[in-house]
Amino acid sequence: MLLYILKRVVSAISVVVVTLVASFALFFLAPTDPAGTICGTRCNADRLAEIRSSLGLDEPPIEQIGGYMKGILVGRDYTTSGVVQHCDAPCLGYSYTLGQPVTKLLAQALPVTVSIVLGGAVVYLFFGVLFGTLSAQRRGGTLDRALIGSSIVINSIPYFVVAVLVALYVTVLPHSEYHPLLSNPLLWASGLVAAWLTLGLTNAAAYTRYSRASMIESLGQDFVRTARSKGISERRVVYRHGLRAALTPVVTIFGIDLAGQLTGAIFTEQIFGLPGIGVLTLRAFNQYDLPVLMGCVLLGSVVLVVMNLVVDIVYTVLDPRVRLG
Amino acid sequence: MPTEVIHRVEPLIEGARPAEPAASSPSRPVRTRGKSPTAIAFARLRTDRVAVICGAIFLFFVLIAIFAPLLAKLEGQSPTAYHQELVDDYGFPTIGPTSEHWFGVEPRLGRDLFARWVYGSRPSLIVATSVTIITSLLGVVVGLVAGFAGGWTDRILSWVIDFVLSLPYLLFAIAVPAVLLSIFVGPADGASVDQVSRVRFISLILVLSLFGWAGLARLIRGEVLSLREREFIAAARVLGVPTSKVLFKELLPNLVAPIVVSTSMALPSYIVVEAGLTYLGVGLTEPTPSWGVTISAAQSFYRADPLYLWLPVLGITVLVVALSLLGDSVRDAFDPRTRR
Repeated sequence: MLLYILKRVVSAISVVVVTLVASFALFFLAPTDPAGTICGTRCNADRLAEIRSSLGLDEPPIEQIGGYMKGILVGRDYTTSGVVQHCDAPCLGYSYTLGQPVTKLLAQALPVTVSIVLGGAVVYLFFGVLFGTLSAQRRGGTLDRALIGSSIVINSIPYFVVAVLVALYVTVLPHSEYHPLLSNPLLWASGLVAAWLTLGLTNAAAYTRYSRASMIESLGQDFVRTARSKGISERRVVYRHGLRAALTPVVTIFGIDLAGQLTGAIFTEQIFGLPGIGVLTLRAFNQYDLPVLMGCVLLGSVVLVVMNLVVDIVYTVLDPRVRLG
Repeated sequence: MPTEVIHRVEPLIEGARPAEPAASSPSRPVRTRGKSPTAIAFARLRTDRVAVICGAIFLFFVLIAIFAPLLAKLEGQSPTAYHQELVDDYGFPTIGPTSEHWFGVEPRLGRDLFARWVYGSRPSLIVATSVTIITSLLGVVVGLVAGFAGGWTDRILSWVIDFVLSLPYLLFAIAVPAVLLSIFVGPADGASVDQVSRVRFISLILVLSLFGWAGLARLIRGEVLSLREREFIAAARVLGVPTSKVLFKELLPNLVAPIVVSTSMALPSYIVVEAGLTYLGVGLTEPTPSWGVTISAAQSFYRADPLYLWLPVLGITVLVVALSLLGDSVRDAFDPRTRR
């Protein structure tokens, strides 16, 4: 068991390191000219050289990437026009256009994304499992067919189209904006409700189908028959005995989905105007702000890799049937 | 000699698959030559009403895309011509749908909406189709090689597959075009609009292909791992059939089902990704007429000019829903276990 976890951790770290080196090579060593972009149209050679040296672009590639890694691990110093600035670990450099440390920008954006995704998850898990259970109980009935039919259709409509239409036409929901949870929980919730419902209800369609399939299987098991024969009420059989067994596969899918949504909440963020990681990435794209782009990509990779690792390990612990290879 | 061997091996493969329905029905004489699993699946698909309707809708959009210039000519308009005289001082169009402009004109620039709509179906289909073809080919080849070769080749390829699958591809899909754009076009101010839009088009296909193949490769590798232990492969190898022939003549025909299913699921998803990225402003750009571009521009006119927004919204929704339902039907048709 320990050996398995160790193996997975090593492979996770190798993925992150390769991502780091590959994206660094792509962003900073490719024949692009970030200094020229920053310098703009009214630029002279002296200014250009100064920007280059302050960004460390005049150093050999190995030293550049070494400096970047050192920054992540222990922090590094930047010299701009003779002024030394210390950037604490984990340092991902400074934004070209905002002049702020990338770490700080990411730290500001991450809670927004996490709030959206977790809130949405509560909505889709609740409705998905509820509809799925109802559907499985009335298998083949009108309600079942209506729920499954609509979930298939909702699931195939492009998500961003749904989000755009909700943002434009559903005006009864409170205006979308982000307030930190700790300063005012009520404002935080009301500003995110539209995003939560959109993300949650569209994803609930998929979860309805997962939970229905899982529930049908679990209701056909022997222990459910035993529970029924003992005279336990049908409601209790379904919600206590059946549902508990049906939830494991659903939770596994949820774990994998969650990682994808943390890095893919970009449409929700952009359409509802919430300044999360996705919006930060888009802004960096439009302004060719390489350190920020690099930071977002790195953070995204780390989140994905860590989440996959956690799901794998938790799954092997929870389900004794999973044999470790 | 080897060709003869293959002939002897092939009926064995078909016999191993579920028997054809005709063999069990008493009204028809039992024929010796069985249908291939693919033929059975297509026969099932033809009787599936949803699949037929969705296929027809898809065909309708393909025809629109192919004959876009003809349709625009029929209407007598071009997707790029400005009609400033049909737009008032505030940018709002002064006309609705007329016999000259079937769907009216765009706010601000006054370009013809019908022409832009028919042309807008093109990039979605072109990008999605090319990415689907590239990723399917790449995924099949990598999966075949990894599964069949085993050893270090498999270990390295599997690591690459896992690596690609664990990247946040949406973030990369934004970051990589930024770099490509800067390499091939140079500083943002200096580039011509056409050049930017061409580089965007190619980089979009490139990036989506780069991240899309790994899922299918993993699937194919798994299938090959179990198939290569079967007797017909062992027989072919013992008889000295060249490896490339074993791969493409023996293994590949048995992988038709997973390939067709994954392809039919991939196509609608790439249409969504293309339109989505374009909507965000990181995919295709003006002057390419594209539904994603139009949706993002039309948002601010959703009250004044609902048709402007709803045309591309309906176009993409109907196309994608039809393709997804078709994909579901294809999956059911190829999977003998599912009954609907």
